[in-house]
Amino acid sequence: MSKNENIVKFMLDNKVVEIDFEKDNISPTTTVLKYLRKTPEHKGVKEGCGEGDCGACTVVIADYDSHSKLHYKAYTSCLIFLPSIHGKQIITVEGVGSSDNMHPVQSALVETDGSQCGYCTPGFTMSMFALYKEYQKPSKDVILDALTGNLCRCTGYRPIIEAAEKSCVRNGKDHFSDNENATVETLKKIRKEIPSVKIETKKQKYFLPATVKEALELKMKYPKAIIINGGTDVALRVTKKKELLSEIIDLTGILELKYAKDEQNQMVFGSGICLEDVRVIVKNEFSALYDMLSIFGSKQVRNRATFGGSLGSASPIGDTAPVLMAYDAILVLESLQGTREIQSREFVTGYRQTQMKENELIVAVKIPKIDKSEIVKSYKISKRKDLDISTVSSGFRLKKSAKNIVEEICLVYGGMAATTSRSKQAEAFLLGKEWTRENIEKAMKLVDEDFTPISDARSGAEARKIMARNLLLKFYNDSICN
Amino acid sequence: MKKIVHESAKYHVTGEAVYIDDMLVNEQCLHGVLYTSPIAHGKIKSYDLSAAKALSGIHAILTYKDIPGHNQMGPIFHDEVVLAEDKVEFIGQAIFLIAAENEEIAEEAKRLIKIEFEELEPVLTIEKSMELGNLIQPPRKIETGNIEEAFKSAKNIIEDILYVGGQEHWYLETQTALCFPGEGQEIKVYSSTQNPSEIQAIVSEVLGISKMQVEVDMRRMGGGFGGKESEANHIAAWTAILAVNTKRPVKMRFFRDEDQKITGKRHRFLLKYKAAFDNDGIISAIDVEQSTDAGWATDLTMSILERAMMHAENSYYIPNMRIIGNAWRTNLPSNTAYRGFGGPQGMAGMETIIDRIARKLKIDAAEIRFRNFMGMEERNTTPYGQKVENNRLFMLWEQIRKTSDYQNRRKKVDEFNAKNEFVKRGLALTPIKFGISFTTSFLNQAGALVHVYNDGTVLVSHGGTEMGQGLNTKIKQVAALEFGIDYDKVRVNSTNTARVPNTSPTAASSGTDMNGMAVKNAVDILKSRISEFIAKKFNIENADSKSKIENIVFENDTVFDIQNTNRRISFKDAVSASYLGRVSLSSTGFYKTPGVHFDRAKGTGNPFFYFAFGMSVSEIELDVLTGRTKFLRADILHDVGESINPDIDKGQVEGAFIQGVGWVTTEEMKYDGKGNLLNHSPDTYKIPSIQDIPEIFNVNLLQNAPNPNTIRRSKAVGEPPFMLAFSTWLAIKDAISAVTNHEIEPEFRIPATNENILLAIEKIKRF
Repeated sequence: MSKNENIVKFMLDNKVVEIDFEKDNISPTTTVLKYLRKTPEHKGVKEGCGEGDCGACTVVIADYDSHSKLHYKAYTSCLIFLPSIHGKQIITVEGVGSSDNMHPVQSALVETDGSQCGYCTPGFTMSMFALYKEYQKPSKDVILDALTGNLCRCTGYRPIIEAAEKSCVRNGKDHFSDNENATVETLKKIRKEIPSVKIETKKQKYFLPATVKEALELKMKYPKAIIINGGTDVALRVTKKKELLSEIIDLTGILELKYAKDEQNQMVFGSGICLEDVRVIVKNEFSALYDMLSIFGSKQVRNRATFGGSLGSASPIGDTAPVLMAYDAILVLESLQGTREIQSREFVTGYRQTQMKENELIVAVKIPKIDKSEIVKSYKISKRKDLDISTVSSGFRLKKSAKNIVEEICLVYGGMAATTSRSKQAEAFLLGKEWTRENIEKAMKLVDEDFTPISDARSGAEARKIMARNLLLKFYNDSICN
Repeated sequence: MKKIVHESAKYHVTGEAVYIDDMLVNEQCLHGVLYTSPIAHGKIKSYDLSAAKALSGIHAILTYKDIPGHNQMGPIFHDEVVLAEDKVEFIGQAIFLIAAENEEIAEEAKRLIKIEFEELEPVLTIEKSMELGNLIQPPRKIETGNIEEAFKSAKNIIEDILYVGGQEHWYLETQTALCFPGEGQEIKVYSSTQNPSEIQAIVSEVLGISKMQVEVDMRRMGGGFGGKESEANHIAAWTAILAVNTKRPVKMRFFRDEDQKITGKRHRFLLKYKAAFDNDGIISAIDVEQSTDAGWATDLTMSILERAMMHAENSYYIPNMRIIGNAWRTNLPSNTAYRGFGGPQGMAGMETIIDRIARKLKIDAAEIRFRNFMGMEERNTTPYGQKVENNRLFMLWEQIRKTSDYQNRRKKVDEFNAKNEFVKRGLALTPIKFGISFTTSFLNQAGALVHVYNDGTVLVSHGGTEMGQGLNTKIKQVAALEFGIDYDKVRVNSTNTARVPNTSPTAASSGTDMNGMAVKNAVDILKSRISEFIAKKFNIENADSKSKIENIVFENDTVFDIQNTNRRISFKDAVSASYLGRVSLSSTGFYKTPGVHFDRAKGTGNPFFYFAFGMSVSEIELDVLTGRTKFLRADILHDVGESINPDIDKGQVEGAFIQGVGWVTTEEMKYDGKGNLLNHSPDTYKIPSIQDIPEIFNVNLLQNAPNPNTIRRSKAVGEPPFMLAFSTWLAIKDAISAVTNHEIEPEFRIPATNENILLAIEKIKRF
């Protein structure tokens, strides 16, 4: 056993912390939130829901890029297992400032009456701190997007928006700015010393490999291991279902999976690049994907979530699947034997079932660029516009001739069946027909026939059917407005 | 006025503010959890705790038999057991209590408990309970005029049913309690509660000890909204039982899902209404039957129902009105107080009636409202016989119609709707009139304890609790202003039953009104004692003329004689001298709201000390195909009298309004056929996010409208603005109605979720 076995190291505010999971008797699936709250100095971070939906536990994690520049991103600490922050700097509300020495975002929140009961406030402070560090004079949309993942039940939010407008005006300058070089050096040193993490306690195994090869070898050895590629879904099994996860392979430390490449006919995304980064990249090329990602979870969730995780979980209501299917995206799977490609439209085989083999990992997603004559749109209907799971979602694609005849049509729905599914009858009907309101209204009836949705907490079946029909009409309307 | 921010703001933003779960306790403190019923209705046949008890790290697994005192924790009616005995009546009802060394062991113990039930049919809807005649308490009635006669001569009558949904409080801090057993029977309870005296009462009752043994302390809550008025009792009682049994400190805190599943919510209502009106839309009579879902136990239901009944007329004069109130028992958690306390549910019926009259007569709804407003000098009596004095409705109406540009925007909305098929806009203006005082008259009392230390600083205790509303900030301001000293020379202590006894809950928006007055009373007593001593001192020092006690004034950190202004002494020196002169520098204060009474049997009286008023205009845009609404603009003008702290009051108005918007739009509770709540976490229970507030949000406080006879001429503000959200709700209905050009009355309810909106649109299109 090497001397670094079971050890994770990170910076907590400005101090280096080392945890020996075996010796300290800590479960590797302890969340960052739980860990912080057990220390007497970090009671500022709060648990509001334990599922990443309220933001009270928001912390900032600073990490360096390929140019050795530190970036500050907000995350919900209830969704991150402790080993995942190995080699990173975690910043807490206490590290940002104290009552006798407040950070600009903190004094702005005080001055604008941004807190009432104060329980959500440390989380807002942290989201605003990340915004402060990364943006100069952000627009209102950018502010709202940065704070969507934080719920407040008291203020009605207006003063919080005002605080962000007031404070984010100093190019991110603060007491962290001067230490950035030293921080990067410290983090580099930690990762050099312990490039990949192996934790084996009595009940659990947790691996944080540094390369795809390492990960594939682990997958071979532990074929039943749970894969974390963001973990915003997996973490709930611990926080909510109180499960003891016995084997985990955490891919979030693999830098070679965090890339985006613009090739001539397609764009290729590593399965580990976070969806917030994807969102920014695809804004012009894949607007339907951009639209969907803009209402996907919250910034905290998108900073963590990946294509790998979102597609790998094969959720019937996952937001990315319908739009990727409309774009006819391709998944690249890799095992020690090599790589293979699978059409996104074929990938899912049943409720949370996929074509992936036990020894394989999703390593990339390729999205072919579309012809200018084609229209791709995505729609998501949820009870609340933002930070909500789809009631019904869709990805639509249309190619029509100069004479307005449908040459290709793809109508993918999420939330209407056990898997993301196409409306086969409506597609068949529309193919070769003229793209008119009359034909759309006929096709709407076939959408209705294609699905037998369920009633659940989000909506009844009847409304789901109305939604599915109406989205086709909305697509038609948007297609003729363009 | 100098801006004064929330007294805890700098601790909130830095994470230094201490909530109960943040208190440092050592490893001897045990972790308490509940074992709860998985079925909504049934008998407990048998159970076996032996395997769970044998687990290492388990310190106690208790049943109702282990309760030292009474197995009873109902706040008013004693129909709520602490732990189930032989039957269970809702999913989430506590059966066993577990104390363990950590959470993991406690969870493991839960898995090892074996229990068998005989399942019985649960009652899960108001309709089903009505069918079975399961009234939880006798019905209530308020009646005025003669409705039968009025309906006979009516030109128009409408009649229908309105479903009004419940609401989860969603305070950010879930229910929490921490108990330390002491020597003898002593116990100290830290509770996140709006009602420390009731925690004291319940804990003493379940432990079978007297109140003098129980000290309850609370610094702040991470939100309350009514959800910690009586619901905090339970977790405090459970924790206290475990602490006494194990002789160790015990802490209990609910995980979010547990909190949402177990605790009571805003009462859902079914309103059956019938209204008579003439061709101008003037209402002559209303007959309304309010049926509410009490849940499995009474809790505060009857007071909530009473307030719903007293707000059934909202801001309108209804000469002939009958309001019947029924509360029905179901096998669901016991519903409880929530901001507005029945007022919103009662008003929803009234606002629906107005809206329907407008559609039927094709007259703008705002105009119908104006025509029916309570009058200034006449037509100003409520159905329960109280005259509405200092009516601000017309002031508000004049001003908000101008500032919101209502008339022009009405035209623009109609023009927009004529041009667009798939997007419709809606606009609505609604008023509120909300009665201030507990309708249970004896609760309208408050106490305070003020210490002046001989260094010139002041420590204030009072019976109110801080839940974010800024009560302690206002109390600090009141004490500083009344003493004429610097704001920072005053500190407000935690709320503690050992310092101020027999207090009322911080509820009914009355926190500042009552506790502010009690603090003022204590300050007045202290000032008169200091004045007496200082006048004497001035008279010894100045033989020429006498300083009279009544001429001694406290201002700018100074105590002086207003007739001889050169006779002055700093507050600090005055206090120090008084101390040396053996003057008592500590005093209690007391206040009782004058003149409030209500005769429940007759349904008449003057239950309210005064009314708070407000008005709002909302404009929304509806995507007809998806049911999504976009909140374009809100204008609010709200009456807070002369504000003690305008920024804090504005915060209350905005926050209450958005919480109300949540209630009428996205916040929805669904149950399955077995009584399981489906929306038990923020994943599926959607409160407003930062993206859901109006794009243009104009909030103003009504100026030049001082409130006579209250603390610094201010008005209560906690609850009333919640109901301003009716304008948002009815703006959505206006947009739906525009789909068929306002020809058909859409089916509508609270909440207007995208699902309910789409179903309504589908129905009117098929009509």
